Amino acid sequence: MKLGNVITLTLLTGVLFSLSIFAQENLTGRKIIENVYYRPTGDDSKSDLTMTLINSRGDERVREIQQFSKDFGEEEKNIMFFLSPADVRNTSFMNWSYEEEGRDDDQWIYLPALKKTKRISSDSKSDYFMGSDFTYDDLGDRHPSEDTHKLLREETFGGEECYVVESIPIEDDYMYSRTITWIIKDKWIGLKKEFYDEDDEHLKNLTVEKYDKIDGYWVITHSVMHNIQKDHKTIMILKNVNINTGLDDGMFTERMMKRGI
Amino acid sequence: MLVKKIIIPLIFLSVTIGKAQDLSLSGYARTYLGALTTGESEYSVIQNTFDLNIEHSRGDVYFKVNPFLYHYSDEKLELGIRQAYLDLYFDSFDIRIGKQQIIWGKADGVFITDIVSPKDMREFLLPDFNEIRVGVTALRFNYYLDNSTFELVWIPVFTSTQMPDHSSIWSLQPEYLLPYSVDYSNTDVKDKLGNSEIFAKYSLLSSAIDFELMAAYSWDDDPAFHSEKIINQNVGIVDSVVLKPEHHRLTTLGGSFSTTLGPLVLRGEGAYYTGKNFQSINPALDEGVVEKDYIHYLVGIDYTIGDLKLSSQFIQQAVMDYDDYLINDEFENTITFLATMDFLRETVNVELFSYIGLNDRDALIRPKVTYDFVDGFQIMLGANLFIGNEGQFGRYDKNDMVYTKLKYSF
Repeated sequence: MKLGNVITLTLLTGVLFSLSIFAQENLTGRKIIENVYYRPTGDDSKSDLTMTLINSRGDERVREIQQFSKDFGEEEKNIMFFLSPADVRNTSFMNWSYEEEGRDDDQWIYLPALKKTKRISSDSKSDYFMGSDFTYDDLGDRHPSEDTHKLLREETFGGEECYVVESIPIEDDYMYSRTITWIIKDKWIGLKKEFYDEDDEHLKNLTVEKYDKIDGYWVITHSVMHNIQKDHKTIMILKNVNINTGLDDGMFTERMMKRGI
Repeated sequence: MLVKKIIIPLIFLSVTIGKAQDLSLSGYARTYLGALTTGESEYSVIQNTFDLNIEHSRGDVYFKVNPFLYHYSDEKLELGIRQAYLDLYFDSFDIRIGKQQIIWGKADGVFITDIVSPKDMREFLLPDFNEIRVGVTALRFNYYLDNSTFELVWIPVFTSTQMPDHSSIWSLQPEYLLPYSVDYSNTDVKDKLGNSEIFAKYSLLSSAIDFELMAAYSWDDDPAFHSEKIINQNVGIVDSVVLKPEHHRLTTLGGSFSTTLGPLVLRGEGAYYTGKNFQSINPALDEGVVEKDYIHYLVGIDYTIGDLKLSSQFIQQAVMDYDDYLINDEFENTITFLATMDFLRETVNVELFSYIGLNDRDALIRPKVTYDFVDGFQIMLGANLFIGNEGQFGRYDKNDMVYTKLKYSF
């Protein structure tokens, strides 16, 4: 199981919380993406995440996670407890991310078989998360400053008025040559995203199947990432979402990583 | 018949307790077949394992029992309890009482400050680390202050390293030119309060660095082999030796750290031990052992290149106030190397782990491939290759083996 990178899952729990307070006039592509990235997400949240990995033959593998996050002002802490499959049960992962630009996340993984908490590097954000079709960047940690953004057009998609924004990485050897995102105008939710590989071939589609307003925030609760080239996909479903429940600071410590839920 | 007598109650027990409310059952069943690659390719191990975790919690009280069963091809059964403890959770501290595995330090596959739980060396270092660590009956107290932890462990009853039987391919026979016998009369450490072991640790997990500081007043898990020379009265010369394994008190001060340097994770661990008895050939010594202090430390890095994860450690053990009569080298240097990579959406893992002894130019090389056939069911193929003729790995040169493991987790 690969857990080597940032897992804020903000696409599901953070980026997709949205407010409609942003001005919608004279918006640039950069500003639209920033509006999605920088918006209030509540002080804390907890939820149950189920990922279903489906290969080209239709075989399914299911990963279940319980996750908690809390905003501490200058830093955000996130902890995840793996419930299934059985051989990774009781594994936990903790991430501390910082507002300070350029500062790397701090990450630890607790491995119950070794009974050890290991510090790991957060360097490879292009890695796929738990064998799914989502990279760590896809899960919401990619900062708007890492790409140049261009507003291509405005159009109706899925019954919603959307901005269509093309994002091209500044870094030369990034795994995507570009992405195109459909963003709902009044909710700042990415409703669909197309990913193109280094040869500019269409690689993946992310589509949002369902989103709900929970505790005053929009939350995507059902999304699908489809790898077109390999014809496998990952379904992400979020349940039991609770926001601003007053999570204790002690939840985000080595003590809890070892103790579990 | 014995198998049935034990397995049936176990199954019944599992079914019965499985119905209890809020009781959590997890574990695995595994079959393990290994064959030597030398000689007539004899099987080195044919083993079936059932490992069960029974857990229950009620409020701030939690208990766990981890029974295990090994079944061998000769119908031999080994039934034991890996862990059985009770946790009490309070606001700022926890108490754990019972048989438990306690793991310290930042090293991988090396035991420096990780000296609380003794080792099961009956199959050398080949089993999973969870199976190498022997549970100790202990009282553990953990106090938490922000990201700091103060840990105190009291072990009232000493448990030593488990060594292989004399008939095992992993057994090490003492090297003496003269005939010898072994007298175990002084080996056991008597169960009494004065023979307790105490371990203390402070640990911090922070953004900049994680570190641990530890101290221990314990027993050396490995006995020193005192020797008594037997003089043949007829000819007046020594013609045999009686070996008397004996455990000695060991005092340890140590620490470890782990931090990130860009894409690197840098780790270190070290300890200073006093009270260790080393074997010596100094003829002036009555019992063939001498007490010396020693240092054991390592530095290691973890690095990722694309999907390839690499890790390496340099380990050194240095004997203080060294003299040339010691059997041990003054400095013993070892390197470990790990490369691991996932394929096919992390359903296939290829790994190469090796210990390399620099003093004796020996090594243990452990390649393996693991395939998750379905979630929770793994098929593993691997090999354990011992290189060299002497040293801690080379002395097992005839034990090269290939193996397969099938493991079903639930």
